Amino acid sequence: MKTGNTMTTTLLTTSMLVLAVQATAQDGIPAHPDELVFDELVFTPPSSADYRHELPGGIPVYMAPSSEFPLVSVGFTFKGGGYLVDEETTGLASALGSLMRTGGTGSMSPSEVDESLDYLATQASTSVGRTSSSAQMNCLKSNLDESLAIFMDIVRNPAFDQERLELWREDQVEAMKQRNDDADSIMRREFRTIMNGDHYRSRNATQATVDNIDRDKLGGLHGRIFHPGNLIITVSGDFETEAMLEKLETALEGWEPGEAVPEEPAPDLENTMQPGVYRVEKDIPQGKVMIGTRSITRDDPDYFAFLLMNEILGGGAFTSRITSRVRSDEGLAYSAGSAFQPDVEYPGVFVSFFQSKSPTVALASKIIFEEFDRIREEQVSAEELETARQSFIETFPQNFSSRDAMLGIFVDDEWTDRPDGYWRSYRDEIASVTPDDIRRVARKYLDPEAMKVFVIGRWDDIYAGDETGRATMNDIFDGQSTEIPLRDPLTMEVAP
Amino acid sequence: MNRLTSSLCVLSILVPTAFATAQQVEVEEFVLPNGMEFLLLPRHEQPNTITAGWVAKVGSVNERPGITGISHFFEHMMFKGTNTIGTRAPERDAEIRDRQNQVRDRMNELIWGEQYERYFNGEIDDPWDAANDTDELAGLRAELKALMDEQQGRANAMRIEEMRGQLGSIDDDETRARIEQAIDDLEAEQELMGSVLKDEFDRVYTGQGGSGMNAFTSNDVTFYFITVPSNKFELWAWMESDRLDDSVFREFWSERDVVHEERRLRTESTPTGIFQEQFQAMFWIASPYQWPVIGWPSDLNSYTYQDALDYWNIYYRPNNLVGVVVGDFEIEEIKPVIEQYFGRLEGSDTTPPQVVTLEVPQMAPQRMSATGDVQPQVDIWFQAVPFRHSDRYALEMLAEVLNGRTGRLYKSMVEGSEIASSASAGVDARKYGGAFTMSAQVKGDSTPEELEEALLAEAALLQEGLVEEDELQKVRNRVAADSFRRLQQNFFLLLQLGYYEGLGGWEEINDGPARAQAVTPEDIQRVARKYLVPEHSSTASYYRSESAAPVDPELAALDPQMQAMVKQALAQIEAETDIAMLEQGIQQMEMQAGQAPPQFKPALDYMLKKVRERIAELEAGN
Repeated sequence: MKTGNTMTTTLLTTSMLVLAVQATAQDGIPAHPDELVFDELVFTPPSSADYRHELPGGIPVYMAPSSEFPLVSVGFTFKGGGYLVDEETTGLASALGSLMRTGGTGSMSPSEVDESLDYLATQASTSVGRTSSSAQMNCLKSNLDESLAIFMDIVRNPAFDQERLELWREDQVEAMKQRNDDADSIMRREFRTIMNGDHYRSRNATQATVDNIDRDKLGGLHGRIFHPGNLIITVSGDFETEAMLEKLETALEGWEPGEAVPEEPAPDLENTMQPGVYRVEKDIPQGKVMIGTRSITRDDPDYFAFLLMNEILGGGAFTSRITSRVRSDEGLAYSAGSAFQPDVEYPGVFVSFFQSKSPTVALASKIIFEEFDRIREEQVSAEELETARQSFIETFPQNFSSRDAMLGIFVDDEWTDRPDGYWRSYRDEIASVTPDDIRRVARKYLDPEAMKVFVIGRWDDIYAGDETGRATMNDIFDGQSTEIPLRDPLTMEVAP
Repeated sequence: MNRLTSSLCVLSILVPTAFATAQQVEVEEFVLPNGMEFLLLPRHEQPNTITAGWVAKVGSVNERPGITGISHFFEHMMFKGTNTIGTRAPERDAEIRDRQNQVRDRMNELIWGEQYERYFNGEIDDPWDAANDTDELAGLRAELKALMDEQQGRANAMRIEEMRGQLGSIDDDETRARIEQAIDDLEAEQELMGSVLKDEFDRVYTGQGGSGMNAFTSNDVTFYFITVPSNKFELWAWMESDRLDDSVFREFWSERDVVHEERRLRTESTPTGIFQEQFQAMFWIASPYQWPVIGWPSDLNSYTYQDALDYWNIYYRPNNLVGVVVGDFEIEEIKPVIEQYFGRLEGSDTTPPQVVTLEVPQMAPQRMSATGDVQPQVDIWFQAVPFRHSDRYALEMLAEVLNGRTGRLYKSMVEGSEIASSASAGVDARKYGGAFTMSAQVKGDSTPEELEEALLAEAALLQEGLVEEDELQKVRNRVAADSFRRLQQNFFLLLQLGYYEGLGGWEEINDGPARAQAVTPEDIQRVARKYLVPEHSSTASYYRSESAAPVDPELAALDPQMQAMVKQALAQIEAETDIAMLEQGIQQMEMQAGQAPPQFKPALDYMLKKVRERIAELEAGN
């Protein structure tokens, strides 16, 4: 490039550069990166047992001290989350997560909590997730005791101040008003319903359900989730292990375990929406598309084959087929690919996605369906599979590279009963996946007829396809589609 | 009650002592003979990985009208390979590129000429739209497409696809074998035909455990980065020095479409994207910050291969580049590798030109109001200072006094008067200019005007009185603790070092926290008085558009899936002109009504009503 001053000399330039590359090879720089030789990186995944301690009562504590910074991080993870909430109080999980932190405690008013934490420069947060909940604290080592005292008060004795509850309620209504502004948020909401049917994951808070939330209901859910019987603790940062265990023991004194939470309910997969095309009208210059189907559970024997199949199909950035064809070959989208998130208790969702100007939505969709067919019919090449395998094997140590990420894995594994030895055999499992396995799982799970296609944008422009006639939406499910009307943002009913 | 707040007064004595020794990162800094600078930060806390990147000190601020967006386009082109990576036949690829460029240059001449003329005359709505092509232009467009197909070897790929399609319906083994053989032959041939080796740059890294490969472009810098296993630093050095030594702008024309899609995604399909772009264009008066990083749509089509080469030769020379490496390595191990690989880049005799246009002082307030699918809100921007200016620290502390759950804006507007659902302030300090920003979103029936008034009242308070020592101490504590927190991840260390160095000096990472701590209440009052003045402000007010066409409430009362079905039927009913057919429809529906499950009844009743209305309408027409 440095000599490429004009276009007309490009040819000449190129041959000069080829020569230059050959010349530099003599300076010890190989001609191609495939010729580089690397020292072996020996890595054994850490064993959770080496980091695990127990408090009286059997509460697990995973600890990873480091004196790099004068900070301490304490994390409480609790089993149980949004699935415990009744339909008529949808939003209660988010309310609890927010109000534990903002609603004051038995001994401090909300603003006293806020001011004290801010003055200490301590970060504290609480959240109630789908299947697990958490309380996190990060403070300077120098004020660990004061910070921990406030943190424990938040976790054990939240007061759910009525004014803060009203403020939360009003904020929710303001947030609801924005639900139909952004096409992405409409898409996420409707796609959840399409994939899960009548299931807690499809539910949306409304003004009415938020109005049903009161301090008693907050206290009730808090009591079910936030107790020592549901708890695993993690600590990282600058501390002494024994001293920390003592502090935690004192902090948890007199806190009685409650009942174990029930398991998360699975969606009724027989009664989700039918395969086909669903669409929402929105006046934007792009159509945004998600194409989904049910995949597998996390502990399914097909997990590794599915992981690699997805990587080759659309998960592996530019190297993957969907990205390469939709983005690089055709320039139809900025982001295009696929993702696969297995759930632990029931099959997760596989989804392929892209966004493209209205007239080329059909073409990009058609390409994705072609790629479903191709990976089902033809064996992947040895080279493609090897790249995908190596990617997982070579990035494996990174999963454990940060202490907090490592502790997160330990907690997750304990809560979800991950089989022993999973991480030790991970790379071997990846290495043993064959082209036949890839084709087998693609055939088993990526049935084009079972796909649910969601499209948001200007349907008439999208339906017609592009002027070159390479594709129209008639190529997808024979042009049949069901319009999903935009719902009222506050009631989630169809807008009047 | 054992109230913990009694500890508050104690804390003010306790806390500051913790910051006597602010964390310093020990960076090894050196410059290669060709002028390329390197910042190395070994850190073994995140074992087995190295995060590495390099910054080109160039962004949209270095552009000019006509080529806006070209800095960002490099971020796309730099992943397309070199004469070694990304091609099967470098010479033939260069030849195809050359032919593509000639065709495209001719197209541009025609578009800038006669198509722009037709556009200015009001004959066509868009000079770039293929639908408005003249015959000559359409011919050139087809020629360019054919050249792109040739570069990709697409002719073969399409024939192969076609034959694969046939395979599905053939049972005869012999025929199958023949077709499969033909496919194999074509695949072998394709190796020869397409000069592009798709996405090899990405594939080499992926197969070796590279992760998080990405880049971003800002107004001031372009940053390229990746994380590699700690035994593969040499791979990074190979790949990055290769693309800096020998980059080839492959797929220069098709990638333009991807950038248009990126623009649609980020700017045109989001609730406030287009408005914010126009607000920036208004706020910056003389400064090149007025155009968007992604570029104006016409410029995205206009910059040429030659423009890119010229830009490269100015801004991608070693004396304008900074390499940054953070992670699990020893300096003495990687320094020779850097010298060997990056030492091969040819130095330059000239330095990139200064951005000479200084922002002019604004003399009157500016204002825009926008209506769309957006929560009503207000943004107020004041002209402020560039990144290196010493007043930046006082402005940042001022913003911190306003921000957060215990900050002034939350207390007065969210909790107090309850007119805002959120409110915040910030400093947008760029290399050559800056802004102090305030914004808030409405709550309930409040209006952007009320928010604006409340934000300005907070600004006035800061001008009139001094911030209490306790209030400022709280902010100092937070800033100090955050100065540790932001050093905890290799990736963020890399970003800060590279970004700071691009804007003025990486030492900011060590010096910044102390300079922020030194800000006094008097400093805050001084900068509030100096910068937060109406003459230097630009205000954007956003209003929600009234909802779209009203829907029949009877229809709206139906279950959503049912509605969709009914709407499709309604379209047919509206299109039907034969009364007999409509009457037949009524009979069918009445029959169905007897057998259908009860939940279908309201929908059927509704449709019956609509059919009868349609019949009445047709009869009236007769």
